[in-house]
Amino acid sequence: MPTGYETNSLFLRPTVWHNKRRTVRLKSSTLPILLALPALAAAQNLEDFKKRVTEFTLANGLHFIILERHNAPVVSFHTYVNAGSVDDPKGKTGIAHMFEHMAFKGTETEGSTNWHAEKAALAQVETVYDAIEAEKNKGPKTDPEKLKALEAKLGEAIEKADSFVVPNLYDRIIESNGGVGMNAGTGEDSTDYFYNFPSNRVELWFYLESGRFLRPVYREFYKERDVVREERRMRVESDPQGKLIEALQAVAITAHPYRNGPGGWASDIENLRVADAEKFYKTYYVPANMTIAIVGDVNPAEMKRLAGKYFAALPKRPLPPPVVTVEPAQEGARRVEVISPAQPMEFIAYHRPDQYDPDDPVLDVLSSALSSGRTSLLYKDLVRDKKIALAAEADATFPGGKYPGLFLFILVPNAGHTLEECQTALDAVIQKVQDSKLDEAALARIKTKIRTGLIKQLDSNSGLAQLLTQYSAAYGDWKKLFTSLDEIDRVTPEDVQRVAKKYLRPENRTIGLTVQPKGDK
Amino acid sequence: MRLLITLLLAAITGFAQEGTAVRPATWKAIKFPPLKQIQIPKVEETTLPNGMKIYLLENHELPLVSGLALVRTGNLFDPKDKVGLASVTGNAMRAGGTTSKSGDEIDEQLENIAASVESRIGEGYGTISFSTLKNRQDEVLAVFHDVITQPAFRQDKLDLIKTQLKSGIARRNDDAKGIAQREFSDLLFGRDTPYGREVEYETLNNISRSDVVAFYERYYFPANIILAIQGDFDSTAMKSSLEKLFASWTGQKPPVPPFPKVANTPKPGVYFASKTDVTQTNFMIGSMGGLLNDKDYPALEVMADILGGGFRSRLFQKVRTQLGYAYDISADWGAGFDSPGLFEIAGSTKSKTTTEAIQAAEKEVRKIRTEMVSAEELETARQTVANSFVFNFDTPAKTLNRLVTYRFYGYPDNFIFDYQRAIEKVTQADILRVAKQYVDPDKLVIVAVGNAKEFGAPLSALGRPVTDLDISIPEPKAAAPANDAASLAKGEVLLARMLRALGGKDKLSAVQDAEWKQEMQVAPSAGGLKASQVVMWARPASYRQENVLPFGKIISYAGPDGGWLSTPQGVLPLQEMQKQQIDLEIFRNWFLLPGAAKPSSTKDQALTLSDGKLTVTYLLGKDGLPLQANYQLSGMEIEEKFSDWRETNGVQLPYKVSLTQNGKPYLEQTVQSVKLNGGLKAEELAKRP
Repeated sequence: MPTGYETNSLFLRPTVWHNKRRTVRLKSSTLPILLALPALAAAQNLEDFKKRVTEFTLANGLHFIILERHNAPVVSFHTYVNAGSVDDPKGKTGIAHMFEHMAFKGTETEGSTNWHAEKAALAQVETVYDAIEAEKNKGPKTDPEKLKALEAKLGEAIEKADSFVVPNLYDRIIESNGGVGMNAGTGEDSTDYFYNFPSNRVELWFYLESGRFLRPVYREFYKERDVVREERRMRVESDPQGKLIEALQAVAITAHPYRNGPGGWASDIENLRVADAEKFYKTYYVPANMTIAIVGDVNPAEMKRLAGKYFAALPKRPLPPPVVTVEPAQEGARRVEVISPAQPMEFIAYHRPDQYDPDDPVLDVLSSALSSGRTSLLYKDLVRDKKIALAAEADATFPGGKYPGLFLFILVPNAGHTLEECQTALDAVIQKVQDSKLDEAALARIKTKIRTGLIKQLDSNSGLAQLLTQYSAAYGDWKKLFTSLDEIDRVTPEDVQRVAKKYLRPENRTIGLTVQPKGDK
Repeated sequence: MRLLITLLLAAITGFAQEGTAVRPATWKAIKFPPLKQIQIPKVEETTLPNGMKIYLLENHELPLVSGLALVRTGNLFDPKDKVGLASVTGNAMRAGGTTSKSGDEIDEQLENIAASVESRIGEGYGTISFSTLKNRQDEVLAVFHDVITQPAFRQDKLDLIKTQLKSGIARRNDDAKGIAQREFSDLLFGRDTPYGREVEYETLNNISRSDVVAFYERYYFPANIILAIQGDFDSTAMKSSLEKLFASWTGQKPPVPPFPKVANTPKPGVYFASKTDVTQTNFMIGSMGGLLNDKDYPALEVMADILGGGFRSRLFQKVRTQLGYAYDISADWGAGFDSPGLFEIAGSTKSKTTTEAIQAAEKEVRKIRTEMVSAEELETARQTVANSFVFNFDTPAKTLNRLVTYRFYGYPDNFIFDYQRAIEKVTQADILRVAKQYVDPDKLVIVAVGNAKEFGAPLSALGRPVTDLDISIPEPKAAAPANDAASLAKGEVLLARMLRALGGKDKLSAVQDAEWKQEMQVAPSAGGLKASQVVMWARPASYRQENVLPFGKIISYAGPDGGWLSTPQGVLPLQEMQKQQIDLEIFRNWFLLPGAAKPSSTKDQALTLSDGKLTVTYLLGKDGLPLQANYQLSGMEIEEKFSDWRETNGVQLPYKVSLTQNGKPYLEQTVQSVKLNGGLKAEELAKRP
């Protein structure tokens, strides 16, 4: 089970694309030195949580989880949409991410000087764009003159529509009312929207959050499409690791949409339309497919009243279908190279089952044994003793957990050492895990660490809000957040050895590595 | 009474029919109740008899204790030729273990109980932190104490830290944004100042264990440390256990001097660093910032916020939302507690719109210093600060952090409240005035990192001088060859002596090809691999190496036409490091020594050969044969020791070679046989398996 946005790794990054990177403003309020935050909350057990959690579901299916935490007059909000880039239709990759960006464009009332006129102008943009597509669809018979004229017309139509826009008003309302940590992220499995307010602004959150999902507006769509395209240039095209992981996913996974990165392919993004976003919204932004957590200084009864007042208007719609494509078993090793002048880096991926499989907790223990902390097998062997790697890490669940995915390794050699050396050492460590059992002391340590790692995220309102929605949506019950730790506790050394043998097989493996360009010195 | 009514209302509304309440037409119709009073916790302060200042904050919500020691030190104190010393010291305090336990033992001990102790040194302060469950407090505090007072700086961990820092150097040009930030900062602070220096292979090589110990001893003493602890403890008990714990640590040192002043006059203009494997350009625009306690800081902060502080800022609206040029665009008025920060605009845009995006950002800079910001913009910025102010107090730890930070830098305890009041008072005229006074559009430093071939308009269209930046990573100067007449003359003598001992110029030059059969054993600490090797060479520069390894055969070839590596997984091109290795192989080839490179010598029997790019130093024995060779490979110090010299065709060759990397054993080669002039042809060596 991937645990959201938290990662201690230098190199393995979460596969989530955020709407905005910069969140720090007015610096004197964030000092440079932070105390290590509370790390472990053993007393924060399930029973304690149950007392403070209130859950309810609206008639339209929208589920709320309220957790009272009255330490300070602040509240964290997290909206979890159980749809992500894995649900992007063919030829429309990137649409989940694109919609996420549109969700910051405001509403009919927030962000327009004249919605009636703007609506008509936006419709005109689509009409002209339809005409352009119709002309392009003629293939060799396309009239370039006509196309040019239509494109000019599109520019004018967009300009007209933009003239009614009050730019970024939605964000401005949040920020000027003291909203902090505002952002959203699109991953393979989900799309998340989140921020924090002072507790006297709770109703404003209800107003704004329901507003953007009640009747989304698609203003400035085509300019935002450029921004989204730019985000891909940043995260993939101009980043050696981004390029490599994209290539790896596409080679390791042949049929299932997990083969596409969360940002989508460049040419797909460049052709996304408003109708695509609208269709995605109608199919997947169904109240019953969304979960909201509110954590902080709130009154649950009041939350229920406000939920009804603002979110009951979301129409009830059927749940979207899951992805039906099943990734076929891999029958032979695969390898992909990315030519890059950057220093060498390698990913190694093995197919694994989804997060609902009984082997899921065992795989978590295995990856923790391999790469969590300075006592892990890979750190001790490759980083500490052989000094051949700057980093050697494992991630049990990539790129998502809802469907069968990958157990991933990354190797980052030290200067003066090669990928081959690191690969040889990694193979030897894997062999060792397959040939012998973990000792009980190491296993106990790993279990403590996994527990700590998860509970570490429970010490902030925002971390709690995210986890509650994620576990509730993925497993049907937020309590799985705690019961999953019991499953981890039941893992035996025999289990770990068994899954290492079962999944970390050469023929189940895909290697992705960077290679130097020819003739480059 | 009022409380009761609220409760009743909540109860009644809780039963109300879902969705019957009406959504207001605008958010402005929503009434916000007053915000609950914030509880600011009380921090206990005390000073231990040894002079260490202690700040304690009880927080009984969770059974946890965490703490942080702040030390007045920093990499600003790195000697110029040992940049990286502070960083190595900070890491090694924890990683290198204590007098009672190795770093590895501490790793195991702490991870078993899910606790942590970490140490670091940054630019202007050092930290040692810990975090633990309450019931493990004594055990973890003991480790924390030992790390602060008795670090052992074991050599193996110093080596590990240096290796990792070197890898960081090797990788520093892989990230375009990182390049832009680094170059921008170095240009503004001055490359040859403590604020603008970079750690290099050379400066790391210059750092010895005794440097690390001396650095630690200079800065880590009780009166130079502030210790803050928060969590589930009783302050009186904590005070007495700290007193006991640190009772014997009493050493005093002269006070730490102030940090060097920032003194640099940056040369304005456009600076370009080429990076061809990207589709977008990262750019930075800016100039020097200031201090947090400058009287104009609040106005400058609001100015930068309006310019590029968030979704609602001008740069975001213009460059991202309206032009669609950038995903990432922001501005920041950098201010430090005791040294100035940087005023910077950072962004990235597709290669084609590089110049246009920079121009658009520049235009916004000019605008904010010619036109007053609107009342609405100012009001939004002020409300943002006022309404989010509560988040400075939402955890007790923030209050403790703040107090300790202010004490560390000598700021008043109520600085944050002064700041908030000052923000309230900022006027439109203030913003215009500070923008005019502090931001000079003609003196901006602009850094762009990208692929110039794909730029739409050239950077010269910005109308400022454009300077190309050299971002290549300097290789360490290995025993720099001397250039004076005496050293050169002595070099000639030593070279002649070595060539004679090897069999003479003529015998060496007569060798056209060679084949070595040898056994190779990698040191256990480096993997312990064992292999049988056949190395073949043909004039002038064709090499073939066949290795039989436990997991299969690896054949490599390098020649004038390039090279490859054949492995059980397939044939791969040679990597950069392997190419460098081949170049060094050719440079060190015994048969190519006559007349190949320039000799010099500054030391006794040390002969340095250099071709301007590669440098190898040989240490000659009494008989004139080299005892060892020293050179650099990818930032590593390599030393080869030669022994068991035997003669073939009148040429002396070593049958045993021991190699160390950075002073640690790496591999041993034992030659079984050598065949010279057996008729090997370059074409044959190049044949793929």
